[in-house]
Amino acid sequence: MNETHPSIEQIVEYLHRELSVSEDAAVHAHLATCPQCERRRDEELALTQALRAHVRAQERELPQGVTAGIRHAVQRPTSFAETFLRGLSRPVVAIPAVAAVAAVVYFGGSAWYAASAPTPIEASFYVDNHAAAAATTPLSDDQPIPAALTANDEAR
Amino acid sequence: MEQRAFLERAIEQHGKATYNFAYRLTHNEADASDLTQEAFIRVFKAWESFKPGTSFRSWIYRIVTNLHRDELRRRKTRYQEEAPPPVQPIEELIDSYLSEPVSHALAKLTPEQRQIVLLADVDECSYQEIGRIVGCSVGTVRSRLHRAREQLRKLVNRYMKSPS
Repeated sequence: MNETHPSIEQIVEYLHRELSVSEDAAVHAHLATCPQCERRRDEELALTQALRAHVRAQERELPQGVTAGIRHAVQRPTSFAETFLRGLSRPVVAIPAVAAVAAVVYFGGSAWYAASAPTPIEASFYVDNHAAAAATTPLSDDQPIPAALTANDEAR
Repeated sequence: MEQRAFLERAIEQHGKATYNFAYRLTHNEADASDLTQEAFIRVFKAWESFKPGTSFRSWIYRIVTNLHRDELRRRKTRYQEEAPPPVQPIEELIDSYLSEPVSHALAKLTPEQRQIVLLADVDECSYQEIGRIVGCSVGTVRSRLHRAREQLRKLVNRYMKSPS
């Protein structure tokens, strides 16, 4: 507010009860002693009242169809998906559900890994082959025949 | 409170005001009815998120404002232009003649300005409440409101001097 008169914005905010307590008191005191500002206040008040009267004259009743429509919509049985999702959002259901999903993922994943793992190779395969590779004369009669070679023979 | 009782009480206390608020945004009965209905259905679904002690009016007006914005956006993308203004019913025309200068001046404001002026002066909302409904700061509410009122004053005065 300037030293002598409140601004038009302050007068509007005074009417809307939006000023701080001290500002409100200052404007209030000023209006009581200043006819010029009082007139500006009355003009603003008249504008507000004209707006209010204009809009309220056009006010309508809530159509009954709207109320009926709302009631009908909220009475509809909820779909299974909606009920399921709403149930999931409750902690009582959500926490065990998450734990169950985690368990399925963990154990299911392990089982799948175990099932899809390659057939283990027997240790003797490496021992036999190592023996063959380590031999100085791998094809001598004293040396064992590498398992890989005999396996191929059997396959044929 | 039970969900259904909450809804019934909300309709009883705020149904008419919400419908009129929606009507002032849309300017037609069918759209205002749809908006009001959808807003109350959302209130019913989200009733637990309403905090007692806060303003229910701000909440539902905010829902209506957002639904209206979404609808305008949808129509704009569908038709690439705003829907044509509806034909004014005769009763409304008669009403508007009663307060023609105000009606004329209000029509010249932007939709945002008009909404803020009406929330402040007709619904008597606080600036903070308006900020929550419209989705802007109290400072923005203040500046838009003062600009709108200044324009209203000029338009009403001009119209009173020369109605043509």
